[in-house]
Amino acid sequence: MKCFDPNANADGHLGFQIAPMIDVVFVIMLFFMVMAGAVKVEKELNQKLPGTVETSKSVEFTDEILINISENGEVLLNEEPMDPIGQHRMKRLTASLMRLKQGGDSAKTPVLVTIISEPDAQYSRVVDTLDALALAEITNVTFTLNAEEE
Amino acid sequence: MAGGGGGQAGDPEFQIAPMIDVLLVLLIFFMSITTAQVLKVDQNIVLPVAEHGSKKDNTRAEAVINVRWEVAKKKAFYTYDEKPYMDTDMPKLSAALAAAKKVSERIAAKGKNPDFRVVIRGDREGTARSVSRVMNAAAEAGISDISFSTANKE
Repeated sequence: MKCFDPNANADGHLGFQIAPMIDVVFVIMLFFMVMAGAVKVEKELNQKLPGTVETSKSVEFTDEILINISENGEVLLNEEPMDPIGQHRMKRLTASLMRLKQGGDSAKTPVLVTIISEPDAQYSRVVDTLDALALAEITNVTFTLNAEEE
Repeated sequence: MAGGGGGQAGDPEFQIAPMIDVLLVLLIFFMSITTAQVLKVDQNIVLPVAEHGSKKDNTRAEAVINVRWEVAKKKAFYTYDEKPYMDTDMPKLSAALAAAKKVSERIAAKGKNPDFRVVIRGDREGTARSVSRVMNAAAEAGISDISFSTANKE
């Protein structure tokens, strides 16, 4: 007995249905489009560890900028308090660093920044500070703890 | 003047074949950008946000160290090359990094991967101490180039 097949042509061959295929492709594409908007892209903040400067070149002594990060998240630039605790974007610190960078550029001296963090300070606060430095385009950055490891 | 794809009566006809081509190209594009990024993100680590970080450089040889922070235990757990390390295992981690650097240098002799670096994927809740331990281990292994992984948004 021959069954009824809606996809079969008059001569009995199965036909390729384009409309459902387009529907499925549309749905898959919409899914990936929505997913693409929610994707988090990993970025990176680079730094060199201290003590690796080539000694064959003459060392230029420049004013060192110190950034202290306390355990509660307070950030001090050369002992001066910066943005309030809990503020992710540090506008005041960024503005100060930009001024220092401009001053360094006009005097043709490199700007060196040392971040001194309390051992139990939050890592995210360190990254906030590094982000401000990246925005100010300061690349000579070192990161240390203000107490020796136990 | 009649355009291409017109029927016998001169009316433009809907062309299904180029539409399918375009759809498939779009589909492949969105598939590639989502899957390539999603696979790299370790779900256990919530990266800190830094909008001004540079784009990740995937051309260089690197050792990715995950620093997961357990809030309940207030302790950091480190993984490198799918092997777990504790706070006290830093000499082991340093030895593993030194070995990886040697392998990279051997490959560099053949004209590839000039600089070896360490990428630290630290949890935002973690402490500076836990990240500093990894940096010390990298320094002991003779690696001075360090990158901190961040997310571009919350």
